[in-house]
Amino acid sequence: MTEIFTLSIVLSTIRLATPLLLAALGGLYSERAGVINIALEGLMLAGAFTAAAVTYYTQSPWVGLLAAVVAGAAVAGVHAVACIQFKADQVVSGTAINILFLGVPALLSGALFSSTGATPQIPKENLIPWTPIVIAVALVPLTWYVLNRTPFGLRLRAVGENPEAADAAGVGVARIRYAAVLLSGALAAIGGAYLSIGQASLFTRNMTAGRGFIALAALIFGKWRPVQTMLACLLFGFAEAMSIQMQGVAKIPVQFIQIIPYVLTIVVLAGFIGASRAPRALGLPYQKER
Amino acid sequence: MKSRLLTAFMILALLVVACSSCQTQGRARGDESKVHVGVVFDIGGKDDRSFNAAAWEGAKLAAKDLPIVLRDVEPGDPTSIEPAMRAFAERGYDLIIGVGFAQTPIMQQVAKDYPNTSFAIIDGVVAPDEQLPNVAYLLFKEHQGSYLVGMIAARKSQTGVLGFIGGMDVPLIHKFATGFEEGAQSVNPNVRVITNYVGVTDAAWNNPGKGKELALAQIGKGADVIFTAAGNSGLGAFDAVEQNNKFVIGVDANQNWVKPGFVLTSMVKRVDTAVYQTIKDRVENAFKGGVHVYGLENDGVAYALDKYNAALIPPAVLGEVEAAKQKIINGQIEVTDAMAK
Repeated sequence: MTEIFTLSIVLSTIRLATPLLLAALGGLYSERAGVINIALEGLMLAGAFTAAAVTYYTQSPWVGLLAAVVAGAAVAGVHAVACIQFKADQVVSGTAINILFLGVPALLSGALFSSTGATPQIPKENLIPWTPIVIAVALVPLTWYVLNRTPFGLRLRAVGENPEAADAAGVGVARIRYAAVLLSGALAAIGGAYLSIGQASLFTRNMTAGRGFIALAALIFGKWRPVQTMLACLLFGFAEAMSIQMQGVAKIPVQFIQIIPYVLTIVVLAGFIGASRAPRALGLPYQKER
Repeated sequence: MKSRLLTAFMILALLVVACSSCQTQGRARGDESKVHVGVVFDIGGKDDRSFNAAAWEGAKLAAKDLPIVLRDVEPGDPTSIEPAMRAFAERGYDLIIGVGFAQTPIMQQVAKDYPNTSFAIIDGVVAPDEQLPNVAYLLFKEHQGSYLVGMIAARKSQTGVLGFIGGMDVPLIHKFATGFEEGAQSVNPNVRVITNYVGVTDAAWNNPGKGKELALAQIGKGADVIFTAAGNSGLGAFDAVEQNNKFVIGVDANQNWVKPGFVLTSMVKRVDTAVYQTIKDRVENAFKGGVHVYGLENDGVAYALDKYNAALIPPAVLGEVEAAKQKIINGQIEVTDAMAK
């Protein structure tokens, strides 16, 4: 059993937690401003596909990463317009984006690479295995600072808790929410880009494999706070790393090992943390009084 | 009101996208005399550079050589397989090919409803008394091919530790794993194989990130040759061996070209040959239902040897592997078939 607990499990945990953390921090901005962002999965896919495709053409992962950020923000913009401008149901809009991005990469890669949902592989020299990890780690204190120590953060929280009061105090509710949702798309897209040009070396169909939803769980589990959310992501990453390391070492059936992350999620959510309180105006469109 | 309109619009947009992923067309007008062939792919999709890609190669070759009309569907999720299959049958297609074991129960249902249409299913195993006369079950002796690449892996390994990464944890993939292990142990009884699976759902074929993590973990435990049978997820292992200067063994299609110098060989499963032959049979009105087996004896499975890996395998090892191949064909070596148990 000793060979399970090594440096490699620490590194593995960090690599597995990084896409979760980036997406969860993205979700944090959006949700603290009162807009449910169930679209993280689709936003990650948008980022992952854009990053791989642009990196393939420009041979520069930096351009690829930047393009992913733009694409993520653009897709999040659709969500923002639907939820803020048109006051659509936020869960429906988010789900629509998720389903949309099961299809869009397939459609685009058909036009670009005459394939249906996979990009060509990117050579090792053009991958950025570390940058997204650094970004993710740096974003945790930064997000804490922005939320708790800047006027923008104060307004963002106010808009998420009590938009009427914020509005009365002269805060542009819609503007803050737009900014938060766009930011959320950009961050989730970096998480996706990590999957396609950091960890792996290509985009394949639906390659996020549910990570957007796990990020959402981590966000709730972390009570919508940056540091706790990071810990939650690390816990999920650790559980997955454990399940990877234990397979083939311990004489336990594979199926059992593979349920560890999920069992852990339920146990922790049900037993070890208090009630997780969402921002009060989460999911409620804001209608300015006339 | 506005929001309701928007919701309606979004639902519409979804439908459009959902349909764009299933580009079926009706029986082409003007071509009605030609044999119509419809291919329904597995969840991995035809760009997996592996299993589905091999099937598509065979179908494309048939379209070039033979007077057929070829259409294909890549289902986005398991629930869209049956509608795709029925759509082909309903439009009067002559031959419908299902790629992958997961479609077997669906095809059994659909084929019953369209007894005059020919069907073929790759890797479809059903009990003899449930086989239908209008379905060809195309099976491969993956365990035999895996045995041979297992021998090569064990001879190449310096650490005596090998890795196996399977996609979905299902009996079909166990066939690869047991064959590989037996082959490896036949040349070195002390060799150890670390066996991992990406997952237990069909998402396991499309998760290169996890494939890479599994490979890195195996390398961390000393593995220096890793055999993947995991569709797109296997490509993550290719990245891992490149980073660490180890070797990987590809699967289904010849994947030696993917990372030249790092791919020791590929366990080729001639899905392309099987698909081509089935289409040819249908065109020549020689289509026969029942089980069709492709093994070492008819080159249905093989290890790939080409300009990309010729320098990686010593001639002595090749001789040994060829000898074992003959022994398997004439029955002197019996490789365990994990699905027959």
